[in-house]
Amino acid sequence: MNFVSPSHPKPGIAHSIFSCLNKDSTRGVVIQAATLGLVLATLLYLFSNSAQNLDRLGLSFGFDFLQTTAGFDISWSLIAYDPSMSYWRVFLVGIVNTLFLSFCVIVFGTILGTIVGILRLSPNPLVSQLARCYVEVVRNVPLLIQIIFWFTTVFSALPPPRSGYGFAGLVFLNNRGFYMPSAVTDMSGWLIAAGSLILLGPLWFLLRGIRRQQRQNGSVSRSYRIAFALWGLVLCGMALIVGSSLRWSVPALQGFNIEGGMFLPSAFGAAFIAMTVYRSAAIAETVRAGMESISKGQHEAAATIGFSRFQTLRLILIPQAIRAIIPPLANSWLVATKDSSLAVAIGFPELVSVFMQTSVNQTGRAIEIIAMVMGFYIVVSLIISYLLNKYNAHMQFKAR
Amino acid sequence: MSEQDLKHFVPTPPRLPATNEQNLLRRIQKQCFNSIGNSLLTISVLVLIYYVAKSFLDWAVFNAVWNAATRRECMDISPDGACWAGVIDWFNGLIYGRYPDEEQWRVNGGVIMGLLWLLPLMTRRIAYRNSILISWITLYPFLGAYMFLGGTFGQDVGIIHMVFTSLAAGYFILLYLNWMLCAAGQSSLPEMVTPLTSRLIRRGQYMNGFLLVWAVLSILCGLVLAQVHLEPVPVDHWGGLFLTLIIASFAITMSIPVGILLALGRRSKLPVIHWLSMMLIELVRAVPLITVLFMAVTLLPIFLPSGAEPNKLSQVLFAVCLFAGAYMAENIRGGLQAIPDGQYEAAQTLGLGYWLTMGLIILPQAMRLMIPNIMTSFISMLKDTTLVSIIGLFDIMLMARNISNDKNWIGLHTEPLALISILFFVMCYGMSQYSLNLEKRLKAHRS
Repeated sequence: MNFVSPSHPKPGIAHSIFSCLNKDSTRGVVIQAATLGLVLATLLYLFSNSAQNLDRLGLSFGFDFLQTTAGFDISWSLIAYDPSMSYWRVFLVGIVNTLFLSFCVIVFGTILGTIVGILRLSPNPLVSQLARCYVEVVRNVPLLIQIIFWFTTVFSALPPPRSGYGFAGLVFLNNRGFYMPSAVTDMSGWLIAAGSLILLGPLWFLLRGIRRQQRQNGSVSRSYRIAFALWGLVLCGMALIVGSSLRWSVPALQGFNIEGGMFLPSAFGAAFIAMTVYRSAAIAETVRAGMESISKGQHEAAATIGFSRFQTLRLILIPQAIRAIIPPLANSWLVATKDSSLAVAIGFPELVSVFMQTSVNQTGRAIEIIAMVMGFYIVVSLIISYLLNKYNAHMQFKAR
Repeated sequence: MSEQDLKHFVPTPPRLPATNEQNLLRRIQKQCFNSIGNSLLTISVLVLIYYVAKSFLDWAVFNAVWNAATRRECMDISPDGACWAGVIDWFNGLIYGRYPDEEQWRVNGGVIMGLLWLLPLMTRRIAYRNSILISWITLYPFLGAYMFLGGTFGQDVGIIHMVFTSLAAGYFILLYLNWMLCAAGQSSLPEMVTPLTSRLIRRGQYMNGFLLVWAVLSILCGLVLAQVHLEPVPVDHWGGLFLTLIIASFAITMSIPVGILLALGRRSKLPVIHWLSMMLIELVRAVPLITVLFMAVTLLPIFLPSGAEPNKLSQVLFAVCLFAGAYMAENIRGGLQAIPDGQYEAAQTLGLGYWLTMGLIILPQAMRLMIPNIMTSFISMLKDTTLVSIIGLFDIMLMARNISNDKNWIGLHTEPLALISILFFVMCYGMSQYSLNLEKRLKAHRS
């Protein structure tokens, strides 16, 4: 049958445009084009403004300033630095200091947080309530207040170097910071790094092979044992070489200051303690939530086969809880890395402080510097989330 | 084998039923002193609590000085107690920053007005709850800004600001007139005028009455406000807790709409919108707030046309809004993902379009599911506002640090920090307890 109505009017052009817009696919294209156009136009507008403003200020865009001499001092750095070095070195100093601080916070915060999280689950109400108070107080007070609190009321209130605390003539604590003995070698850092890479690379392959063989045959073949022994010999040899050039640098009071050894400034101490405490509260909650996600039946089953509380924790609860804990824990570590930027408030020379504050003031290259700093944080967060996603995938139940 | 050699099954006597006497001593003994290790733990915890509480109370209460003119005097009276006198001396500064003393009533007035605006929401059964909330978000900022900034209508206050301030004041008065009339058992004001307007326009009768009353009240308010002269207080004099709360409440209110838009964008099927939202969210979430703040403060003047340099507060508000929105977007996305497909299909069956589906069906459910996460975000936004002190806004944090630079109170660090720590603890803990309560109530409501 044919239902063509002869009197149906031909649609006008305007009408056909509107009916076209009513179709989802066309409308999608129009909306996307409009959004893209708007975003591009805004960006273009902003960039043309910035070009004008930079012109007015007599600045140009480019990363050539990284090669110029910085000319300012940095109060503390893990890698060697002096004011005659370039801005590129300043960037590196900032990165290394930031990574060092966040690494320390991640390691100690995770340990402390796990302990507090387990205490929080203690059947003893006194202990669990104390842990709860700790968590609630710590996480409801802003981190910045805690950092400044530790810096101004604890570390700045320590006595000056001459009357500071010393323990066994090896470790010193005063209002400048913390001093401890350190090992010094004559070899360059690159040599040691290359050496450890040469050592660790084969070890990884060896262990993997041994584990695979153990799983397949139940025993390890002789060639693997010989290879392992050889590796041990190489290790001893390298340890001998390194050890022969090793000296201990012990801090000692000289005049008004303490010289030698390894030095951690009080700003580091304050930031480290405040951030570790703050992070531990968050991790404690993560651990608790992970532990509580395990059904009561598992506790009861463990009790039935006569496991002690510690055995239950180690063999039954933690291996299962870890699956629920890893994703939020990864998030917590990421936040710890980002939080390390708050140490700028007490003058710890991390990336934001030395690069985003001092260097921007010195050079005026705000766009490039901010892009570099943000790029660094983005790369770090991508790496951490990639590694932990891999680990997470490795740890989850394998569905068959 | 004889019968006697076989072992007989002898049942153990049944255990006595658990005694029902759950007295306190018994419970304490069972939970705290059931083994030697546990007893030692209990005792050491008790000793720890005693020492911490004792030293804190000694410092903060028993040895504290409440009345002194300088820190030296404090030290003379009690060398190892807290010197609250300095904090009391600076208390006004901590609350209002450098806001002029004689104008501080305006801050109180503005804040109280903002709270009063929201007060009707506390009554469970009230019509147009959403319109009250939306008006608070869209209109109150103009009124609040006028109260805080001051200036004369038509001179210091721009024409758009003027109009919206009048509208806000008109709405506020209408809200309370209605409330009072309803409390007195009368019909509301718009309903009273509806017969008047319905002679002219028949469609949307209540709405016409409402608009008419609102317009008349707004014009009246505008006329009154034009006669008032409020001393202008520029933004750089704002500070203290007042500024902290302004930034935090801005972050909290703006994070919801920005977060919803970004979350919907990220879940959109249109690739351009999806990728743009995703890039923005991931970019902002990957970097620390302090870098976003630095970016706003140093880059905005470069990217905006010369001469149009916004003040520091606007730059900070822009940064905070972006940051809070990106975090909220991920919360809301989590909620959106938790909504089963059936809900979308049901909405489609009813013939609802995209925005109606989202606004009426999906988002309300998603937001309700995500209340704990959203409240956690709010709390962290409140805590994060302290970061603006790093870029030199005189919020409560910077005011507290500045006390130690005052020549009378030089070196007074601990007490102001302790006070604002307690303040933040009370606010944040209160919020988290409220969120638990809300969660429980909504759960009870659902099932």
